[in-house]
Amino acid sequence: MTDPGPPIMQLVGVGKTYQTRDGKGVVALTPSTLDIQAGEFLSIVGPSGCGKTTLLNMMAGLIAPSSGSIQIAQSAGTAPRIGLVFQRPVLLPWRRVIDNVLLPVEVMGLAPPEAYRARALELLAMVGLEGFANAYPSELSGGMQQRVSIARSLVYDSAVLLMDEPFAALDAMTREELNLELLRIWKMTGRTIVFVTHNIPEAVLLSDRIVVMTPRPGQVREIVPVPLPRPRALSLMGDPDFGAIADRIRGMLRPAGAALAA
Amino acid sequence: MMGERTVSALYAGGTLVFVLLTWQFAVTVLNVPAYFIPAPTNVVTALIRGRDLYAAHFMVTLWSTLVAFGVAFLLALLLGALVSEVRFLERTLYPMLVALQSMPRIALAPIIIVWFGFGPTSKIVLGILSAFFPIFLNTVHGLKVVDSDQIALMRSFRATRSQIFWKIKLPNALPFLLAGANIGIIFAILAVIVGEFLGANKGMGYLIVNQSSQMDTPGVFANIVLLSATGLVFHYGLQALRNRLLFWASGSEAAGTSA
Repeated sequence: MTDPGPPIMQLVGVGKTYQTRDGKGVVALTPSTLDIQAGEFLSIVGPSGCGKTTLLNMMAGLIAPSSGSIQIAQSAGTAPRIGLVFQRPVLLPWRRVIDNVLLPVEVMGLAPPEAYRARALELLAMVGLEGFANAYPSELSGGMQQRVSIARSLVYDSAVLLMDEPFAALDAMTREELNLELLRIWKMTGRTIVFVTHNIPEAVLLSDRIVVMTPRPGQVREIVPVPLPRPRALSLMGDPDFGAIADRIRGMLRPAGAALAA
Repeated sequence: MMGERTVSALYAGGTLVFVLLTWQFAVTVLNVPAYFIPAPTNVVTALIRGRDLYAAHFMVTLWSTLVAFGVAFLLALLLGALVSEVRFLERTLYPMLVALQSMPRIALAPIIIVWFGFGPTSKIVLGILSAFFPIFLNTVHGLKVVDSDQIALMRSFRATRSQIFWKIKLPNALPFLLAGANIGIIFAILAVIVGEFLGANKGMGYLIVNQSSQMDTPGVFANIVLLSATGLVFHYGLQALRNRLLFWASGSEAAGTSA
């Protein structure tokens, strides 16, 4: 990470203001500037209302920024430049697991289908779901469903993988297991990942850099590098350096004088 | 070991047999005349003796009902899709149709017969008018209650509107569509019978009016048995279709949120 090269995604002065009915605006995100490097694992941490989901949705192209611009390095062909993983698996219950993974291939008309099918099966094996290709989502646990949604986000090439609190709905053990799995997948695929969470230890464990955001108005407070060695294991969480970084972030999220509900 | 379903069927069948036996016994013991309340055996006899007559009229009613239901279903699906996809139609056509829905459509029957004559056409029109609304309203509702994350997901793949419609909205609406169809088919058969009551020269409704004017009560009951059986076949047919198409619809959401 010493020589970052050109960023894969560049946010320049990106802000979002929602119009309210009385004509005044509510600032969801004050203009922010951020470079995302190819292949990095970047987390966005902050309490609810800090604009992190707004920021992610703008990166995903789902909502338009009120100001500033978002540039994404051209990825292969006409494929969408982002991949998306939600807090919920968002699988289509009437499709088998394999057909859920192949949904983006179908929608984008990627060819040849057989090659993508083989790739989907490989990805399912990679997320630990070998042999579940023909199952229906309702037959899987929540953690397994989220693995399917990760496989789905990886089946096509995207410049950046955006993950919006993907493990927030899972129990602590499944969450830790999937954290490690995600690190392994990230390493194997060389993807760029932007990961939104409100869990500070999770962010420290996973990330190269952490964007700390604060609410009212939503803004990027600071970008904290995580110079901990890789590969990382859960035992790293007992490391004093780990604790120091987590504490530093916690301190930023506890603004003096501001009323904090949680 | 018997399955749960077999046991349920035995209970239901047993109850039916019990009711029929009690009926038969009561009518015989109390000496109720057949033109007032016929015994089940009278009804069966009437049914067997008049089988050709019943078959001919039954086919007319069945055909009118199925045509009415089929047209209503396609129309409801088409208009439902248009209203939920096209903002302009949602603002113009939809309130109009909702207003029409509150009108008692069966009250139009005499006029419809004036317009479309004594043949099956007027019954089909009445059947369409009756069956259309439950299917239409359910379709619109089903197409509206779509998971916004599923739409966001599709948009992240740069899906077209038609892809979102066919791959997301329509499958999501299917449970509502079938629920509407279940009501629609019953409404269709009701409307066709009422139309045949009011003015026809064929069909079960015509036959019922004819027989009751001749005090042929066993014959009327035979008609009702046939119509009930038809209703049951429709109901279980749609149920079977539901089980086949919507195997995913129950419990899948719950599984999606549990950890």
